[in-house]
Amino acid sequence: MTIRVLGPGCMNCKTLERRTREALEQMNFQANVEKIEDLDRIVSYGIMRTPGLVIDEKVVWQGGVPSVEKIKEFISAQRGEAGAA
Amino acid sequence: MKEWSKFLFLIGAFLVFSLAPMDAPVVTQSLSAGLSLLQEYARRHVLTCLVPAFFIAGTIAVYVKKNAVIRLLGPTTKKYIAYPVASVSGGILAVCSCTILPLFASIYKRGAGIGPAVAFLFTGPAINVTAILLTGSVLGWDFAISRLAAAMVISVVAGLIMAFLFREHDERNSANGFATGLEDDLPYSGLTVTLFFILQLGVLIFFALSVSLVVKAILIIGSIAAILGIVFLRFRREHNLEWMRETWNLTKKILPYLFVGIFIAGIMEVAIPKEFITGLVGQNTFVANIVASLFGAFMYFATLTEVPIIQKLMALGMGRGPALTLFLTGNALSLPSMIVLFKLMGTKQASIYILSIVILSAFAGLLFGAFV
Repeated sequence: MTIRVLGPGCMNCKTLERRTREALEQMNFQANVEKIEDLDRIVSYGIMRTPGLVIDEKVVWQGGVPSVEKIKEFISAQRGEAGAA
Repeated sequence: MKEWSKFLFLIGAFLVFSLAPMDAPVVTQSLSAGLSLLQEYARRHVLTCLVPAFFIAGTIAVYVKKNAVIRLLGPTTKKYIAYPVASVSGGILAVCSCTILPLFASIYKRGAGIGPAVAFLFTGPAINVTAILLTGSVLGWDFAISRLAAAMVISVVAGLIMAFLFREHDERNSANGFATGLEDDLPYSGLTVTLFFILQLGVLIFFALSVSLVVKAILIIGSIAAILGIVFLRFRREHNLEWMRETWNLTKKILPYLFVGIFIAGIMEVAIPKEFITGLVGQNTFVANIVASLFGAFMYFATLTEVPIIQKLMALGMGRGPALTLFLTGNALSLPSMIVLFKLMGTKQASIYILSIVILSAFAGLLFGAFV
């Protein structure tokens, strides 16, 4: 699983990255966490408001910092989908 | 490159401290002027203006449903709706300055097109809530309101100019999924959030009111009690925590730079000769306004630092017109932001955008200096 945190490097984007890693740690789950700061790439995901969270090329969140609990939900939802496919 | 600049910075600091004549009157006077301006701000503006303003900005970041606003900037929106929305949305969508460029790029490339995108790009930094509130607290509310109104008008005019000159740009846009999948999931009514917002604004306004101390205390304590009531009875814990986090983030990001800016502004008042400022921008002439406009366009002001700096430039004799001009271009443009714009929009569009902002701002200042 590849998780991308989209944002040009402001405080909120850093918080989101930290919380994502925290969520993974709590779930005891390994995934690639990548931070994307290039504006063209951010926009190419259709993100309007940063920070955005992309799991396996799918935008699951944008425009704020979700809680660790919420991030866990996103990750398990994506895992479920990947398992079913 | 980064390590080199650190090294040069250290060398510079070393040279200043080892060679500067620390006992010379101009040095001691400048330093003490810097410190006394810091005291003025600490006593008169921090608790009564900045702290409430940060909470208000935090509220906007957490509780205002922004996605509905963004949808209005899509390619299918009528122009007469998109422009006004873009001209005010800067103030509510761009609480964090780093959200401006991604949103600008989206509106520009896939949304309502170059005109509204440009309007948003200009007002994003120009009508920041905290900046308007501090301007009012320090320089008076006529200044704050004019700053707000001028920024909105200029943004729309600049947008229309760009849309007219670059008509062909917009025809490539279509309605392919702009802002789809953006959902607001705040379970609060607009009324509650509006009340919450107005109560906080009330605290700030009541502080500035010239009524007796008892009335003032009752009004302020009443508002704070009502705010706490909403917080504990209406809002969910997770949102309140988010509100605190946003407020604290903004404070952390802005206050240190602001204090440095205030100190520098205090030094400026002693270090810069009065005749220089009055000669250059003392009168409300077209040339003076253009000078102020260009200075603001190239100079980088960290959020809010433009307020003490313009305050002291005015103390040195800067006219009201050029001062407003400097407010308009000071935040909206800077050398680093221009470089990004050239990369993003291309040379032709970026230079016309910058040129129209510089000229329109100078005219706004000219009008303000003459009539207000």
